[in-house]
Amino acid sequence: QETSLDKGKKYILGGLEVTGVKSYNEQTVVTFTGLQIGQEITVPGEEISKVITKLWNLNLFSDISFFITRVEGEKVFLELQIEELPTLSDVKITGLKKKKTDDIVKEAELKKGKKVTESFIANTKNYLLNKYKKQGYLNTKVLINTVPDTSEANAVKMIVNIDTDEKVKVKNIEFLGNEKLKDNQLKKAMKNTKEKQFGRFWKKSKFIPEDYDTDLSTLIDAYKEKGYRDARVLEDSVVYNDDHTIDIKISVEEGDRYYFGDIDFVGNAAYTDNDLSRVLGIKKGDVYNGVLLRERIADETKPDGNDITNYYQNTGYLFSRINPVEVSAQNDTIDFEIRIIEGKPAYFNNVTVTGNERTNDHVIYRNLRTRPGQLYRKENVFRTIRELGALGYFDAEQLSPNIINPDPDAGTVDIQYGVVEAGSSQIELQGGYGGGGFIGTLGLRFNNFSIKNLFNKDAYKPVPMGDGQTLALRLQASKFYQTYSFSFIEPWLGGKKPVQFSTSLSRTLQFRPTADYRDADKDQRFVITGINVGMAKRLEWPDDTFQLSHALSYQHYDIQNYAVGGLFPFSNGTSQQLAYTVALSRDNTFTNPIFPMGGSKFVISAKFSPPYSLFNGVDYANLENDPDYKLKDANGNFIDAEGNPVASVDDAAADEAKIGQEKLKWLEFYKVKFQGDWYKQLVGQLVLRTNAEFGFLGAYNQERGVVPFERFFVGGDGLGNYALDGRENVQLRGYPNNSLSNRDGSTIFNKFSMELRYPITLKQTASIYTLGFLEAGNAFDSFDEYSPFDIKRSAGLGVRIFMPAFGLLGIDFAYGFDPIYGGNTANGWETHFIIGQQF
Amino acid sequence: CSEYQKTLKNTDVKAKYDLAEELYDSGDYKRALRLFEQIAPSYVGKPQGERILYFFADAYYQTEDYYLAAYQFERFSKSYPRSDKAEEAAFLSAKSKFMLSPKYSNDQTETNEAIDKLQIFINNYPSSDYMSEANEMARELRNKLDKKAFEVAKQYNTLSDYKASIKSFELFLSDSPGSIYREDALFYKMTAEYNLAVNSIYARMEERLSAAKSTYTTLLKYFPETKYQKDADKMLAVIDNELQKFSK
Repeated sequence: QETSLDKGKKYILGGLEVTGVKSYNEQTVVTFTGLQIGQEITVPGEEISKVITKLWNLNLFSDISFFITRVEGEKVFLELQIEELPTLSDVKITGLKKKKTDDIVKEAELKKGKKVTESFIANTKNYLLNKYKKQGYLNTKVLINTVPDTSEANAVKMIVNIDTDEKVKVKNIEFLGNEKLKDNQLKKAMKNTKEKQFGRFWKKSKFIPEDYDTDLSTLIDAYKEKGYRDARVLEDSVVYNDDHTIDIKISVEEGDRYYFGDIDFVGNAAYTDNDLSRVLGIKKGDVYNGVLLRERIADETKPDGNDITNYYQNTGYLFSRINPVEVSAQNDTIDFEIRIIEGKPAYFNNVTVTGNERTNDHVIYRNLRTRPGQLYRKENVFRTIRELGALGYFDAEQLSPNIINPDPDAGTVDIQYGVVEAGSSQIELQGGYGGGGFIGTLGLRFNNFSIKNLFNKDAYKPVPMGDGQTLALRLQASKFYQTYSFSFIEPWLGGKKPVQFSTSLSRTLQFRPTADYRDADKDQRFVITGINVGMAKRLEWPDDTFQLSHALSYQHYDIQNYAVGGLFPFSNGTSQQLAYTVALSRDNTFTNPIFPMGGSKFVISAKFSPPYSLFNGVDYANLENDPDYKLKDANGNFIDAEGNPVASVDDAAADEAKIGQEKLKWLEFYKVKFQGDWYKQLVGQLVLRTNAEFGFLGAYNQERGVVPFERFFVGGDGLGNYALDGRENVQLRGYPNNSLSNRDGSTIFNKFSMELRYPITLKQTASIYTLGFLEAGNAFDSFDEYSPFDIKRSAGLGVRIFMPAFGLLGIDFAYGFDPIYGGNTANGWETHFIIGQQF
Repeated sequence: CSEYQKTLKNTDVKAKYDLAEELYDSGDYKRALRLFEQIAPSYVGKPQGERILYFFADAYYQTEDYYLAAYQFERFSKSYPRSDKAEEAAFLSAKSKFMLSPKYSNDQTETNEAIDKLQIFINNYPSSDYMSEANEMARELRNKLDKKAFEVAKQYNTLSDYKASIKSFELFLSDSPGSIYREDALFYKMTAEYNLAVNSIYARMEERLSAAKSTYTTLLKYFPETKYQKDADKMLAVIDNELQKFSK
């Protein structure tokens, strides 16, 4: 029915009829349009076209048209005719295993309720074809049919038939026309397309057209590297064989060998030709190497490489463009002109950070190496990213520097660092039976704490975070044993300079059980209380990866009716230790603190107590002859070791407990240590960690002797359990824990190790890597016995898993090649579990 | 098993609708929400949908789940642009975003979104009763962004990176000319310039002292009653004293 219309006449909408609906309610469609009966409407006009666009955007209909059914005076009656798209009700995939079909439904998003359009079907088909071609199933066929589903209104079932056929492998690659380069060299240059070969494990033979095309150009690059600038692929053919293999035939034209001629720099004002030639490193007369030339100008595989582009980029020339141009090719010599547009040096304007939903600005900005007003330097941007990653508050893999608003005319640029907060708290809660009763442990560690919000209840989400401080608490208690420790670290004391302040408190109590073993006897106890205050400062010289630290520690041992085996020769008394530690360390490892890819880390430290014996006037050598240190009975008469009275003081036995108490009243010692770790990226992500450690504990007064504290225990996993005597467990895998030191610990040790590490995944949720190592080391009882090459060797394999909530977990299997405990056979296999140790 | 639990498991949408509205009216938003969550999809496009979607959004708002409240209010005002409640919903959507804005020292994505939302509301409903509140919120958020930029610039001075501090304050003063932190920014810019000058190499000292002095003049010109008068004067005395060496 035709009704003639004036252009854009105004009507009142008298009615709207919807036709063609299958699964929808008519009223629903009316609501979608947003039109209301009784409203003013121009026909034809903007409202109608808006409604049509709106309906199209819903992606629910395959056809939408408006008709005027009739006009009654001012009123217009419209008809909306739609055609609904069918919805997907079910997918059936044939030709694959059940598990794989589920994956495909998920990956290709074949969800129930999807609107089935032609393009949806075509996309799904292409997706599947590509997916299998990429895996080497070159003959994959995908057939998609749709059949109406009668059980639902306007629904279709989709039937996907996938026939992957067998994987297609490359049987032969044949080269024609190559004289200068051998077949093997050319085959090697084709990185992704390899011939089928027994034992080919890392790179399986398969044929993927895109990769093959890339390989053809890398093939030509192999020629270019050798000076054959004109080399080209004349033709190539791929022939399918019957046995699911293909033969590839490539014929090349090699051309002549060329040499570099004059290389001129044009447009350079900031640097002289000489400077640039030196960076370029290519001389007149060198064999022409197009790949090398490209890399020396801009090496795309090394963003921080030492090429001409970075030479400019690292000195402010963000806008520089460098373009090599062949100016002449005479005989076999090619002259180049390297055309440089330097542009203005760029200075930073706004430097911003986004994504710090928890960490406060000041914690981040103080670590930025790019600041407003500074000259743009690419290496500083890289360094900032590296150092932000090392803070541990952010996901190191997701840090992104975004260059924004580059303005070549003004010579300014903004930079925005995008960060993603990472979980940085660890919680340990455990309970269990052991040592005669229940043992409960509660450990909390917050790595991005905010102490100033400790009493601000709004900041508890769930704990006050964001100021970059570390707070750790650990409580462990059983009937006979309790230990409490608390530590706090502020990395930037005062906010002006990176001066790290740390403090820790700890208290350990041990009780002997009562006679019936049911309870603890509080009168028989051993209590250790310690306090530690430290300050560490980042140095500016020799460079700012150096750190100097100082620490003052005090420890108090209180022993009541408690025999502590080995350490104390008395069972009633006290012992105190006051020591000062100074350490120089350097850490320039990067980028991921869990898995450093390079750099080194070393610590050299000295810890010493005041030299009391220098001025306290006690003659330690003669204590046992001093009448004050002889055994006496209750009446004050001298006695011998059996308790019998003696006639002369000289015959009386020495009171070992009293001598011990005198010797250990204030512990006196000095200790020197060195530890170094070097990380080197070998190939890809394979990293070599080389480690060396050395330690020495000495006494100022040989008569007083080396204290039984602070000693080294070499061997095993190196995990410190409870360190009541300040002992240091040194890792040496392949031997039982502490097996290379004597029972009381050693005073000198050295250790070397080499470890190859390869990551399986470095995701934020879990970092996993495998490792293989060679280690050697030994411990000695005095400097006279020290013999650095008398070492115990071992080798082994292991794996580490780091998860932010649990810390580091790992297991190592190691074989010790040398005998221990004076035996004469190799120690053999040991298994070590590594928990919570970071490196 | 309470009536509420029964209704939750019930498949009768009408029963859920009645109970949800009853709970909503009595102020039990948390429990009402669970019902609204279940029934809202089935009322989309139906006459009661308008009512339900509004209550649904408001229940989120009342339970201080501003993230979802902002989303649901926005959905409401888009779905029912002709509703009586559309204006209120647009306002509450913007206000929910405002409530989500974190403290100045964190990422300000939500703050920027809230400012945009508020600005759209102000443009769309110029005669709204909520206008003054919307303007007040927008002002508060802009001040927050200013404070952020100001504190960062000030931190560079604390870190003894005076050049970065001066540059940041220059950018701040030109980007935010009407900021309430203008006085503070001028004073701290002078402080950074002063610090740079007195620690300067001799060759550049005069120029740097003059820069600090010029900022002092600007500070006093715009803020004759400045609270920083005493500290600024102290620095000026040193500057003048140093400058005398150069005039000889």
